[in-house]
Amino acid sequence: MSKVEIRGLKKRFGNNEVLKGIDCNIEAGQVVCVIGPSGSGKSTFLRCINCLEQPTEGTIYVDGNLMDANASNIDELREDVGMVFQHFNLFPHLSVIDNVTIAPLLRKKMEKDEAEKVARELLESVGMLEKADAMPNSLSGGQKQRVAIARALAMRPSLMLFDEPTSALDPEMVGEVLDVMRRLAEGGMTMVVVTHEMGFARQVSDRVLFIDGGVIAEEGTPDQVFGNPQNERTQNFLKMVLQA
Amino acid sequence: MSFFELLAESMPLLLQGLVLTLELAAVSLVFAMVIGVLSALMGLSKNPVLHGISAGFVAVIRCSPLLVQTFFIYFGLTEALDIRMDAFTAGAIALSLNAGGYLSEIFRGGIQAVDDGQTEAARSLGLSSAQTTWHIILPQAIRICLPSMVNQWCITIKDTSIICVIGLAELTCMGQMIIARTYRSFEVWIMVFVLYFAVIYAITIASRYLERKVSLDVKSGD
Repeated sequence: MSKVEIRGLKKRFGNNEVLKGIDCNIEAGQVVCVIGPSGSGKSTFLRCINCLEQPTEGTIYVDGNLMDANASNIDELREDVGMVFQHFNLFPHLSVIDNVTIAPLLRKKMEKDEAEKVARELLESVGMLEKADAMPNSLSGGQKQRVAIARALAMRPSLMLFDEPTSALDPEMVGEVLDVMRRLAEGGMTMVVVTHEMGFARQVSDRVLFIDGGVIAEEGTPDQVFGNPQNERTQNFLKMVLQA
Repeated sequence: MSFFELLAESMPLLLQGLVLTLELAAVSLVFAMVIGVLSALMGLSKNPVLHGISAGFVAVIRCSPLLVQTFFIYFGLTEALDIRMDAFTAGAIALSLNAGGYLSEIFRGGIQAVDDGQTEAARSLGLSSAQTTWHIILPQAIRICLPSMVNQWCITIKDTSIICVIGLAELTCMGQMIIARTYRSFEVWIMVFVLYFAVIYAITIASRYLERKVSLDVKSGD
């Protein structure tokens, strides 16, 4: 059984069919980078995995459990799937450490002391321990994103989804976030990363999916996709982004 | 009778009226806040029945005068249901529903102003819909609509004066009774005015302080 099994995934918004049938397995411990032009459906694909978007058709299984936004067990299933967003989405009314502890406190019924101990370890691992008592709006973009990663990890997920985690960052802050993600990948985390960072995709991922027009147009190892792309659309896309 | 004699004679009664005014306002606003939050959540619900109840309630409240609502509850409803109700209870019900209707719209606006990403982040962590609303959305929505909310509180405190018409001896009513006895309209209305002003102005000052205290804006942030 694969970690994630996606069969016949389609997603429509009104008359706009964003995903037109995606089949894909993701194995435990794999780092999968999803690349493609904007509007191609990459983010929608990612958001379907934890049912932030309910698929119009098709099925998604994570560890053998069907992901269904309307099912009663969806909250439990989401606990095991962390997500990091383009715009961080930290809770601005909570301090950094409270952002990290809120889900363990509410969902795992953890004691406050223990939740804070775990949170401090995580904040230290992303280099944000000294900002534990700061409010999110006083942080830089890179700092916010590192806290957001710690917040997602606090639920001890076995799968992490990253939705363009560095796209909203100033260029000098991209590195600090990618470093954290690289270490997470080295630690064996299963990761699905929608990204425009081709260098990261090439170095860190085990597999690259090129999504275009709502389908997986090409997939393979980074060397295959970047070094010897077969699909014309992949070739054009890579030419465009690597020129920039 | 000199002004100061009038003041000394009137003030105990006016203060007694003020206490009743504040009690009525406090009770009404507590219920109004609960009604307002529930109605706002119902109004944002995808369930058409809940949505309809909220929309209908807000429409009825906004499209009729508080005076008529008060008469309806105190005279109309008691007659139809064949029950007795004291003026304080009837006034509290009328004011709770009235302010609840307006607060419902204020909260709905505040909740809608919270970024969708907040809900997505909370749900992605496994928080339930109710946990997300209570721990993530409402604390931010209340901050956003704090100025409008305090504005409605001030209006409702002043609206307690309408409950005078069903015979509750609150501040305005006390003023009228003192004038009926002393014929000193000018001075007594000034006293009444000053008492209302002092209380409500203090609340607006406190609200400004609170607004700064709970503000999430940080100048150095983005």
